[in-house]
Parts: sequence; C-alpha cells; structure tokens
Amino acid sequence: MSESAMAIIKPEAMKSYIWLQTADGSIQQVEEEVAMFCPMICREILQKGMGSSKNYAISLPQRVNPAILSLILDYCRFHQVPGRSNKERKSFDEKFIRIDTKRLCELTSAADSLHLKPLVDLTSRALARMIEGKTPEEIRETFHLPDDLTEEEKLEPLKNTTDDPRIRLLNRLYAKKRKELKERQKLKNVEVEEEQVDKRSVDDLLSFINGGDGDSKGARASKHKKKNRRRKEQLKDTSNTEIKNVEKVDPFLCEESGSIYNGESKEDGNISLPGPNRTSRLLDSGDDAFISGVEFEDGDIDDELDPAMKEKLDREVELFAKRLNSDWPERMQEILSLGQERRVSTISTMNGNGSLHRYTGTLSCYLYSN
Amino acid sequence: MDSAFPEEVLEHVFSFVGSHADRNAISAVCRLWRRIERQSRRRIFVGNIYAVSPTIAIRRFPAARAVELKGKPHFADFNLVPYGWGGGAGAWISAMAEAWPWLEEIRLKRMVVSDESLEVLSRSFRNFRVLVLSSCEGFSTDGLAAVAANCRNLSVLDLRENEVEDRTGHWLNHFPESCTSLVTLNIAHLVSEVSFSAIERLVGRCPNLRTLRLNHSVTLDRLASLLCKAPQLSDIGTGGFSALPAEEVRPELYTKLESAFMGCKCLRSLSGFGDASPVYLSAVYSVCPGLTTLNLSYASLQSPDLVKMISRCPNLQQLWKVEFASSQVMDCIEDEGLEAVAESCRSLKELRVFPSDPYGQGPPVALTERGLVAISVGCPSLHSILYFCRQMTNVALQAVAHSRPNLTCFRLCIIDPRTTDYLTGQPLDTGFSAVVESCQGLRRLSLSGLLTDRVFERIGTLGHRLEMLSVAFAGDSDAGLHFILSGCPSLRKLEIRDCPFGDTALLANAGKLETMRSLWMSSCHVTLGACRALAEKMPRLNVEVIDEGWKPSSKRPDDWFVEKLYVYRTVAGPRLDMPSYVYTLPSQQGS
Repeated sequence: MSESAMAIIKPEAMKSYIWLQTADGSIQQVEEEVAMFCPMICREILQKGMGSSKNYAISLPQRVNPAILSLILDYCRFHQVPGRSNKERKSFDEKFIRIDTKRLCELTSAADSLHLKPLVDLTSRALARMIEGKTPEEIRETFHLPDDLTEEEKLEPLKNTTDDPRIRLLNRLYAKKRKELKERQKLKNVEVEEEQVDKRSVDDLLSFINGGDGDSKGARASKHKKKNRRRKEQLKDTSNTEIKNVEKVDPFLCEESGSIYNGESKEDGNISLPGPNRTSRLLDSGDDAFISGVEFEDGDIDDELDPAMKEKLDREVELFAKRLNSDWPERMQEILSLGQERRVSTISTMNGNGSLHRYTGTLSCYLYSN
Repeated sequence: MDSAFPEEVLEHVFSFVGSHADRNAISAVCRLWRRIERQSRRRIFVGNIYAVSPTIAIRRFPAARAVELKGKPHFADFNLVPYGWGGGAGAWISAMAEAWPWLEEIRLKRMVVSDESLEVLSRSFRNFRVLVLSSCEGFSTDGLAAVAANCRNLSVLDLRENEVEDRTGHWLNHFPESCTSLVTLNIAHLVSEVSFSAIERLVGRCPNLRTLRLNHSVTLDRLASLLCKAPQLSDIGTGGFSALPAEEVRPELYTKLESAFMGCKCLRSLSGFGDASPVYLSAVYSVCPGLTTLNLSYASLQSPDLVKMISRCPNLQQLWKVEFASSQVMDCIEDEGLEAVAESCRSLKELRVFPSDPYGQGPPVALTERGLVAISVGCPSLHSILYFCRQMTNVALQAVAHSRPNLTCFRLCIIDPRTTDYLTGQPLDTGFSAVVESCQGLRRLSLSGLLTDRVFERIGTLGHRLEMLSVAFAGDSDAGLHFILSGCPSLRKLEIRDCPFGDTALLANAGKLETMRSLWMSSCHVTLGACRALAEKMPRLNVEVIDEGWKPSSKRPDDWFVEKLYVYRTVAGPRLDMPSYVYTLPSQQGS
C-alpha cells in the first residue's frame, strides 16, 4: 500500500484502549490517551502493566462509580487535547461543574481518589463557593449534614434573644407599651392622656405573659415552681429552634465555653470520653459546672440559687417594671412630640407667632406622616 | 455529602474559603466540619483580645500561621481610654512563641507592646515574615532593632501610627546584609531621623520591595535617589517632600525628581507630603493617571495645590485628605475642592476628609454639606465616606442617601455637638433616617449633629446590616438606646458617649450584648447598680467600669453614674491585667 493510504487506515485500527473496572463490577474500555490523563490510571498502566485487556482491567477505587467515571472521562477527554486555549478550557470547566450538589461531592471525592489534581481543585473551588456566604444552617441543608454539635459547643450568643425570661419579660413589656401608646395616638388627635396608665400590677402582667396563673404576690413559692417548670419546657422547645436560628455566629468564641465550665478541653479530638465515664459525670451532682454546661444557660441558674437570692432578683425586676410603667407614657409622649416642639419653636421664633392653632396643626401633620 | 467524603478533601475545600466569617460558619455546621476546620485554620482574627485567652485560642487552632489581634476599644483613638487601661500583647506573644513556632504573621492594633515582647517575637518564630503594628505603644526603636536583626525572612515591617519611643534612627542598620526579602517597609510615622545610608542599602538589596513609606527626615533629593534604585515600587510614602529653599525650584533637583517618578511605572499609591514644598509637586504629575490610592491625610499642602494634583488622577479609588480651615474669607474653597474631585475622580470608592485641627483653637472647619453632596452625586462607585464638616442639612443627607444607596460605611462628624440642620433648625433625624433606609448594605455608621430618639428607632428598624455604630451627644432618653439594642440584628460594636441613655434600656437588652463584640458607654446615665445587675445576670459578659477618680476609701453607691462602661462578651472570664481604676463587676453575687 502507498504511504498515504496507510496513513488513512492507521488511526482507527491502531487506536488502543484501556480497560477499567468500577467497584460494582462493570467493565468498560476507554481510549488510552484519555485514560492516561488520570495519574492513578497512568501508574497502573505503566508500572503494573494493567489495563490492556478485559481480564486485566484496572480496578478503580470504590469512590468511582460508573456515572461519575463517565463524567471524569469527559473531563479527561476534553483536557487531554493539547491544542486548546486557556479560554476554551476555562469555559468548559465552568460548564462542567454545573451539576447538582450530590454529584459535585461525588465527583470531588472520585477525582481525589484518582489523583486528578486539576479536577480536584476545580470541584473543590466550586464547593467552596457553595459554602461561602451561607449560615451554618444553610450549609447543613445544602450538604445534608447532621446537626450534631452539642449546645455547649455551639454555645453561641443568640441573636436578639435572651435566655433569662425576666429580661424577655421586660422586652415584651416595652414592646407592649410602645404599641399601646402608638395606637392611642392614632385614635386621638392632639394630647396624650397621661391617665391611661396600665393599672394592672406587675404580677398580673407577669402571670398574663406566663400563661395566666393569676397568682397573687403571696403565692410566691408556688409561682416560682410553676415558672421554673414552664421555663424549662420553654427552654427545651426554644433551645432547638433558637439554635437553628443561629446565623453568622462567631463560634471562635463559643468553642471553649466548654472549658470554662469544666476546665478541660472539649475538642472533638479529645472528647471521645468512654461511655460510662460520661454518664457518671452527668450523674455526679457535685459537678455542677459540667452539668450547667450541658444544659442550657442562664435559665437554669435560678434553680441553683437560694430563695433569698430569688427574692432579691424578683424585687429588682418588679422595681424595673414599675419604672417602666410610670416612665413610659411620659417618655413616649416626649418622643412623639419632641420633633413637633422643635419645629414649632423654630417656626414661632422665626415668625414671632406662637398660636395654639399652629401648634396643633403641625402636630397632627406629624402624626399622619412618617 | 456522605460520610465517606474524605477528610483531606474536605480540608482542601476549606482551603479555598478564606474569610473569617465563612470559616466561623463552617465551624458551626457539624462536629466533623468543626474539627477539620479548626485543625486547618491558618489565619486567626481576634477582634477583642479579652474575649478569649491565648491558651484557648492556641488550643483551638493548632495550625495557625497568621494572627491578628485588637486590644483597646475604638474610642481609645479619641483619648477616651485612660493610659494603662490594658491591651498588653506580652501574654499573647509569649504564649504564641511557645505554642506556634511556625507562626509567620502578627498584626496588632491598639495594643501595648514592649521591647521585650518584640525581642521574644524576633527570636521565636523561624519563618516569621510579617509584622504590622497599628496604633500601638509601649515600645522603642530598640525593639525594632531586635526585629530587624533576628527575623531572617522578614518581608513586611509596617509601622502604622504608633507611639514609638525613638531612641535612635540607627535601628535600621540592624538589618543584616543578608536580608533581601523586604516587600513592605513603612516607617512614615517615626519621628526621629532615620539612617539614610541604611535605607539606601536596604532598598538596594531588596529587589521585591513594593511598598516604601518614609518619614519626614528623608529630603527630596534623597527620595529621588531612592526611587531611582527602586523603580518597581507600587506604593510610595514620600516623607516630608521638602527641599531647601522651599519656595524656589532647584532645576536639577526638579529634573531628578521628575525622572525618578517617571521611572516608577507601577506606582499605584502615594502618600506623605508632610512638609511639602509645593513648587516640586508637579514633578509627580506623571504618575497621577496610574494612581488608585492617594493618602494626603498628613500632607501640608494647601487646597489649590491639592486640587491640581487630585484632578490629574482619574483612576483614583481611595482618597484621604485633610480639609483646611479657611483663614481667609474665601468661603467654600474646600467644597470647591471636593467638587473638583467629584468631577475628575469618577472611580472613587472611598473618601476620607479629616479636619486639619480637630482639637485646636483655630478658625472653624470650612467644609460644608456642599462638598459631601457633590462627591456623593458625582462618584457612582463611592461606598465609604468619612467626612468632617461644620454644617449639614437634612436635605443634603437625603441627597446622599438617594444618590448613593450602595454606601457601606458612612461616618459623618459635624464638629460641634448637637448641631441642627442650619436651614430649618431641625434635628438631623430625617437625614440620617434616609441614609439607613436607602443604604441597605450599610455596615458602619457614625452619627453627629442634633438627634432625637426618633433616628434611633429608624436605625434599629432599618439597619439590618449595621455592624458598627458610633453615637455622640445624641438622643433624648433610654428609648433611643433601646431601639438600637432591640433592633439592628447584625450589630457587633456600639460606642456611645455623652448621651442620656441609662439603666432601663441597658438591662432590658442584656441578652443582646452577648451577640455583640462590645459596648462602650461614657458620660451617659448608667448607674453602678445597673452595671452590677448586668454583671450578675450575664456571666459571659465582662462588665468593666472605669472610674479614674476612684480611691480605695471611696465607696460608690448604687445610684452613682458610671463614668465609662465597657462591656464585652468573653469566654475567658474577667481579665487580670486591669489598673486600679478599672474593675470588672463580679458575675456571682458576693464574689
């Protein structure tokens, strides 16, 4: 045959194939130059002489299933072609990684087992981009990860909530008052009536908020019992949801709170406390620090306080709430009218005219504007 | 992601996640991720050294290579934190020296660093490369000499504004002849003469030098010589930029300077001009089109010269300048300058305008709201503003809000407290409210002028991304503070001075404080009793009271108004290095 004829026939007939076997037993053949692009496969071929026939198929690592292998080979097939420009390669890569999260993870893992570094980097970067900007909860959802950090490990200041129900109470009182006053303002035109102070006692409000026990001051002890029980329940319920609401945490602070509580390292590396040990520690009532670390926070501090202390704190809260009760109507009035007064006084000084009519006129404008 | 996903690969994925926030998020995902992340974290950032102890940090992150620590609260910059308050770096440096021998980078801000610590640092880390000291104090040039002498592979020595006891300019001679690794050398704020020959030799043998910021002792012709040796520089601090005689040009010096600058084809950042001879300024014009950063906050140039230079910088992204008091009746000259900036520098991203004489008795600051509006309207990429001025209006602030909804940082400092809108006499509530409403991405805000509780209600409600808020001489009552603390979901740092905020709001929002890095309140209406209550209820907060008038014999009653209060979350308990006038209130009754 002439040389040129030989040249035409040659490519097809002489192309060599490599045999690969995935963990599920299935075997396939792949063009040699494509397979050689994988360092692991390359080594098997060159060092061990494997892959040249079906019987000597190269066993691929377990992490490479047929579907993923197919993807990997697509990658190799494209990139092993020498002539391609950087732009082309980049464009291919960008499209290549647009797959669902599960497959992307499988691909990363498989590429790693085949030592295919460029693909490992490509997929790892893609995974990193999927992590960036997300909250821990969102990351867990994306990758189907368990929520298995203990409270103490996650011990994170919760955003905008507090675990001390007394402080929660005060927040609620504040909000309630503000709302009431705003509504009253909307109904009335001009003056705020100072007489409309909430005449309920603090205890009434407390019990109202805590679920209507209707206790009087005298039944303090039982009230506390009920409160504590209720608080514990609240904590049990809320702690889960609150933990799940943790966003943008700075766990750099929280990790070692374990160590404040029991003075020893809480890192996972060291934590594998043998089972019995851990249980006995939990049961050891003397080890309050550890227990209070495991359960949730400030709410339980009350249970360890003596009644005298509780009394004192209760009194403080009462005092507090009383101040709120008495101060708030005035404060709100001030806030709402302050803008007005200033405007009014300026206008009146500017115009030398301080008629009541003008005052009420501007005040009502203010109320209905935002 | 199944459980078979190899840990090394997971670690590899994490290596592409750099930001501290993201790494912290990774830490809170699950046990496995937490362990892997913490074992592989290389860069540690501790925003408040007292939030955590060195031991804790070291134990958690065994693989640290770079550490950034911050000590004193921000208001220390305004002389509100008394001398000796704390912020010592010694304990950290010793602990790190023992536990992290492979540490390469240390960055300290607002900390007290001794010469001994610098000596320890210089000897303990074999691969040490980067030292950045910013607003620090407590060391002298002896400490710097140790660093120069012992850090074999030092690439960055960045001495930003620090209080350095300048013993000798010869510390630079301690860099061995074998040191060729410098990439950044910033000595711009050192006071004394530095050995020019030492600098010259250093520059000559460090081919990778990219940033060189000199101090005032380097004259113009020496600057020119240095630049000829290092045309690869991308960041130059000119030092004094002075030559004698100051008013008359020496032609050969001018030529030398001009060609030296022309040779610096990579120059992107320029600063200095501390004692500038304006007649030589035009020698620098050739680099202006390439400049992206111009820091003239220490420049002694007058406005017209500044404007001429700035208007030649169309690619400027960051501009720091000083406004000047108008000693003549040439009103609005400063505003005109900014208007010119707005026209020439369309790529501007960050602007800082400092007052020339903030504590002085000189004539009042000349800048008005005109300049601010011009800049805001004219520069579409502008996202960060620091602006000192003497007057403002709500309308101007609304214009800023309307034209720059992309603002991330807005710090407005009207020099006189409680200044009203000068056109209407109103508080500036409306203006600032417009800013928080329009700028959804606002992360940092400083307020000034006359403000009522209303603005705080708006900020609390609308400031979703606000992380840092500075308040002075504002508000009417506790409601103001309550609005902030019960709103602002992203708030990390709150600093307040001279506001009528008190106990009720503070205690009602005690839980919020654990979600923040710190709260500073000085000259407000917080009583000692409330601070005690706060400390008792919140064991994970350090409630520090600063009382400079305290004597052992004095016993403050519960209703005594606390002079300065600094509250911060911590897992390290009360600190042990407090001076006598600072006390941390006990978190247990009677302890």
